[in-house]
Amino acid sequence: MKKSAVYWLLLPGFVFLAAFMVIPIVLTIGSTFVQENAFTLDGYLHFFKDPYFLKILLTTLQVSVVTTLVCVVLGFPTAYYISRKAPRRKGILLALAIFPLLTSPVVRSFSWMIILGRKGLINNALVGLGLIDQPLDILYTPAAMMIGLTHLFLPLMIISLVGVLENIDQDLLKAAQSLGASRFTAFRRVVFPLAVPGLVIGAVLVFVGSLTAYTTPALLGGKQRVIATFLYQNAMTLNDWYLASVIAAIMIAITFIVVGVMNRMAKTLNPKG
Amino acid sequence: MALLTLDQVSVAYDNQTILKDFSLELEKGKLLSLLGPSGCGKTTTLRLIAGFLEAKQGKFLFGGKDYTRVPVNKRNFGFVFQSYALFPHLSVYDNVAFGLRMRKVKDRDVSERVMRMLEVVNLNGFEKRFPQELSGGQRQRVAIARALVIEPDLLLFDEPLSNLDANLRVNMRVEIRRIQQELGITTLYVSHDQEECFSISDQVAIMNKGIVEQLDRPETIFKYPATEFVARFIGFHNFIEFDERSDAGDAISLKVGGRLFTATANPGTVRPGARKGAIRPDDLIVSGDTGQEAANALPGMIKVSTYLGRSYQYVVETELGDFTANQEMETPYFSGQRVNLIFPQDKLVLVE
Ligand SMILES: Nc1ncnc2c1ncn2[C@@H]1O[C@H](COP(=O)(O)OP(=O)(O)O)[C@@H](O)[C@H]1O
Ligand SMILES: [Mg+2]
Repeated sequence: MKKSAVYWLLLPGFVFLAAFMVIPIVLTIGSTFVQENAFTLDGYLHFFKDPYFLKILLTTLQVSVVTTLVCVVLGFPTAYYISRKAPRRKGILLALAIFPLLTSPVVRSFSWMIILGRKGLINNALVGLGLIDQPLDILYTPAAMMIGLTHLFLPLMIISLVGVLENIDQDLLKAAQSLGASRFTAFRRVVFPLAVPGLVIGAVLVFVGSLTAYTTPALLGGKQRVIATFLYQNAMTLNDWYLASVIAAIMIAITFIVVGVMNRMAKTLNPKG
Repeated sequence: MALLTLDQVSVAYDNQTILKDFSLELEKGKLLSLLGPSGCGKTTTLRLIAGFLEAKQGKFLFGGKDYTRVPVNKRNFGFVFQSYALFPHLSVYDNVAFGLRMRKVKDRDVSERVMRMLEVVNLNGFEKRFPQELSGGQRQRVAIARALVIEPDLLLFDEPLSNLDANLRVNMRVEIRRIQQELGITTLYVSHDQEECFSISDQVAIMNKGIVEQLDRPETIFKYPATEFVARFIGFHNFIEFDERSDAGDAISLKVGGRLFTATANPGTVRPGARKGAIRPDDLIVSGDTGQEAANALPGMIKVSTYLGRSYQYVVETELGDFTANQEMETPYFSGQRVNLIFPQDKLVLVE
């Protein structure tokens, strides 16, 4: 095939993305700057001046950041363990790790309701053991959202990390040790920097996923709104498409900022990643 | 006293014993090679010494101290891996500096020592490059510099040249020997390439299935292999199992069937009880003169004749089996021709 001909293969995907993603996004963002045929920043000013909106934005960011960190902390050791196994066992363990992704978020959230509710497993157990008098409020709090989102997105973190970790030559660890590094130092100075690209991909997936998640926060968050549920409410219940567009634009902006910052961090941690 | 002593160590993976009652000694400043076919336990031995593996039994002494349980990072041994194992996220400079930083050497001294070492391996000017921007030979040099810069008490090489092309292999092995002698560094070198080991070693240990078959100077091994395995490994293709052996002063008489052979008494033949004769194809003489029975001769017939470039190689069929002989000559013998195989007295060795 001629070299120029190869580019035609890109066309269908390109057209699809342009028609259904790029153009709608540009139009949506563009529309937020226009009211009554004049350029305006009113939508944004309005948003950032309203403490109620800001509180929602802050909660969302908080939930997303904590979920991401928890996924890193839980995912790294698991992924490292899986990556060290022989291929057959690795396949089985990975399949198990991915399993939560294969169940419906609705079903999953309902199970968490059963576990976290005031009459749920955890509270029943704690009260039964006499550790607490009154059931704890876990369900319908940001904590419940974080638990649900961690459950939802941890597999993405694990897959991303296993991908990089399994390609790290074991001899590198040995080399570091023979040069005087303890196991821990060898891990910190060699394995960790080499895992950064996977860590960044995993973190971006988890963070953006948490930031934009709808079902899980809607079911586990109770009255606590996050931007995705708030956006839905504005668009569908209040029919305020303008404010919904502003919220969408803010979400998109945050996503881009986060991806950019993460990439910068990755570059400094691992210049050759 | 030897600097390094392995005393009757045994190593097993899972339940499979790889080394059993394995002993080895190495003197300060010397280069010892472990040579043997793939899977004979060379890497295992090296990893044991480096501390990546633990012995089930036996002792590892170094400089008079028991090192058996000393962790890898406290041994101060340099290890050069077959895969080089350079840190891909670090520049050449940082790769070489790694060990010094682990030792908390001051930045200024780090820079000085790294630069000096890069000079030793002829890589000045490359310090900002990353491993993936280097050729195989250059990576190899970085790996050597990284292992050397920590001034290790022992340097370990695991088939360091096997990923390089033939020309570079020869250059690099000369280089390795030069650096080793310049710095007077005690070295253990593993390879399955005979020429490579023989050319750079003070001593060679020939290994087979987890045991050392022979440990000697390369010249001695080359001339006087101790066992059939060693003889085969270093190119003695011809063997005769003698029925009787009697030693009388400078000569050893050997009998097989009705034939009598004589071998000169030398380090390669005096091994008591050894009755298996071995000779290299290059040393076996094929004579077209079948008139009278010469001394140490065996009549036969040319079975196959092939051209090797400098010489012809013949497979000769005899009553004692087939023999291989290489001979330089103008006009070769033809297949089916009757010849005499002459076994020069001083070239015939006796192995166990
Ligand atoms: N990690 C391991 N687990 C099980 N068996 C191994 C392992 N490494 C090596 N072996 C076995 O030990 C034997 C010796 O291996 P090795 O020391 O690597 O040989 P060499 O370096 O001489 O080629 C081989 O039979 C090999 O299959
Ligand atoms: Mg090996």
